[in-house]
Amino acid sequence: MIVAALAFFLLPVIWIALTSFKTQGEVFSYPPVFWPKGIGNFTHYSSIFGGQGGHALKDSLVVASANTALSLLVGVPTAYSFSRFRVGGDHLAFWILSIRMFPPVVSAIPLFLLFRDWGLLDTYWALIIAYLTFNVPFVVWFVKGFFDDLPRDLEEAALVDGANRWQAFAGIALRLAVPGIVTAALLAFVFSWNEFLLALFLTRSEVRTVPVALANFVGGHEILWGQIGALTILAILPVVVLALVLQRYVVRGLTFGAVKG
Amino acid sequence: MAVSLRNRLTRPRPRRAPLFAWLMVLPTVLVLLAVTVYPLVYSLRESFYRLELTFSPVATWVGFDNYVKAIRHDPRFWHALGRSFYLVVLGVGIELVLGLGLALLISRLGRLRSLVTALMLVPVMIAPVAVATEGIVIFNNSWGPLNYLLDEVGAHGPVWLGDRSVALYTILLADVWQWTPFVAIIMSAGLRTLPEDVYEAARVDGASRWGLFRTMTLPLLQPLIIVTVLLRSMDIFKTFDTVYVMTGGGPGDATETASFYTYLQGLRFFSFGYAAAVSYIQLAIISVVATLLVRRMRKGLG
Repeated sequence: MIVAALAFFLLPVIWIALTSFKTQGEVFSYPPVFWPKGIGNFTHYSSIFGGQGGHALKDSLVVASANTALSLLVGVPTAYSFSRFRVGGDHLAFWILSIRMFPPVVSAIPLFLLFRDWGLLDTYWALIIAYLTFNVPFVVWFVKGFFDDLPRDLEEAALVDGANRWQAFAGIALRLAVPGIVTAALLAFVFSWNEFLLALFLTRSEVRTVPVALANFVGGHEILWGQIGALTILAILPVVVLALVLQRYVVRGLTFGAVKG
Repeated sequence: MAVSLRNRLTRPRPRRAPLFAWLMVLPTVLVLLAVTVYPLVYSLRESFYRLELTFSPVATWVGFDNYVKAIRHDPRFWHALGRSFYLVVLGVGIELVLGLGLALLISRLGRLRSLVTALMLVPVMIAPVAVATEGIVIFNNSWGPLNYLLDEVGAHGPVWLGDRSVALYTILLADVWQWTPFVAIIMSAGLRTLPEDVYEAARVDGASRWGLFRTMTLPLLQPLIIVTVLLRSMDIFKTFDTVYVMTGGGPGDATETASFYTYLQGLRFFSFGYAAAVSYIQLAIISVVATLLVRRMRKGLG
């Protein structure tokens, strides 16, 4: 039973991986070719890297990294504050949480109009800023959970020894929370990396992230299936590696910390 | 001295947050005001204007016309909204039943559990657009592997993406494929927290497996199930990426969801005033679910 379930959930991924090695003829053959002749032949990958795919990978990398860095910079101190003090009762914290649940299409239209006025459409900044809407609330809630689990004794001892609150945070709590912060960074990166709707609205030709490039490929005149397979694999590969590494934290991340997993 | 210090330190945390705490929160509040609240207020204004970037780039005040149009004179919007709700009901139902079943299987695994869990996370983590490109290859009705397999077992597969009466279910299937493992992993985490000794006692008393599941497991998992249902409802309601890539809303308007229709109004027809109004209606709907979820989470999952 469990083997059948695993097959159901993994075969599509394996199939697209095999497709990335197929010639156009092999894709179209019926009955379908399972094991392509050119397996291990990375021609589609190299043409992807040389063409729009390489550009898209770079754009996705820039946007996701910059957005992750900014989200941490803004969100981590807030996470600490919510963990240690009752700032604004619970209301403020839950207001921030509810922003994480915003439908992207609702933010997309106003951001499009604003960025048009500011000349930010089709720039890296458009996406780096837009993705703060979901990643800042994510970082705040996810990292807060890690601060909650840390003992306060060390910080309190430091305060008694004359450290100020900032030093207690930056010198002690921040260091102890590094594993949690790294996990948050990786997940925030994945959320940016995967995002499509806002990228579709806010960028066009100068900036094109991987999901947008993939969607364009599908809409093209002659669909190059092998290259689509290759770009799909490039899009999911980093994420799959992270899924395997972070498995304990993924559920916690996707449920806003409601489920510790 | 040491003793009195200790007392001072172990007092409950102060109810009034110090200035420091507010300063630490300030950047987040400012950023979120700037990237969500300000744009929303800005576009709330747009929603009272007729703003079409192609025909009438100069906005004219139309009051509630956009909302009246959406609610009273735009059946296509209602159909899209209806489809989103339909996907929510079916998707949440199917993912919950399959997810629970899968969780029961996973929880009986021994050492393999963490490996199986990790593999199950693969669909959950990948981009919905990547799910969609997998989908168009697998669902292709002339050379796709799925219809070939169905042919082999003597069934005749439908035209998954090109048949008006099937395409919406194909979109649903893609969501079920991606998110059932997520539900399963949450539920199996919940199953692990259940009190083993109580089960043991009930089993000794001769309770049947199904009886145990109905009278103990389900009620104990209920808080978790509610949170999962709310989370999945919000997500499925927003379905967009798979529709855009796999069907483009078609054939005809057969797979137009609320999000996709809003995109059409905005980026295809350039009716931004109207798109803003339509998106506010969706925000109102999502807010109801989000409020329920937040209220649940405030109470804690116990």
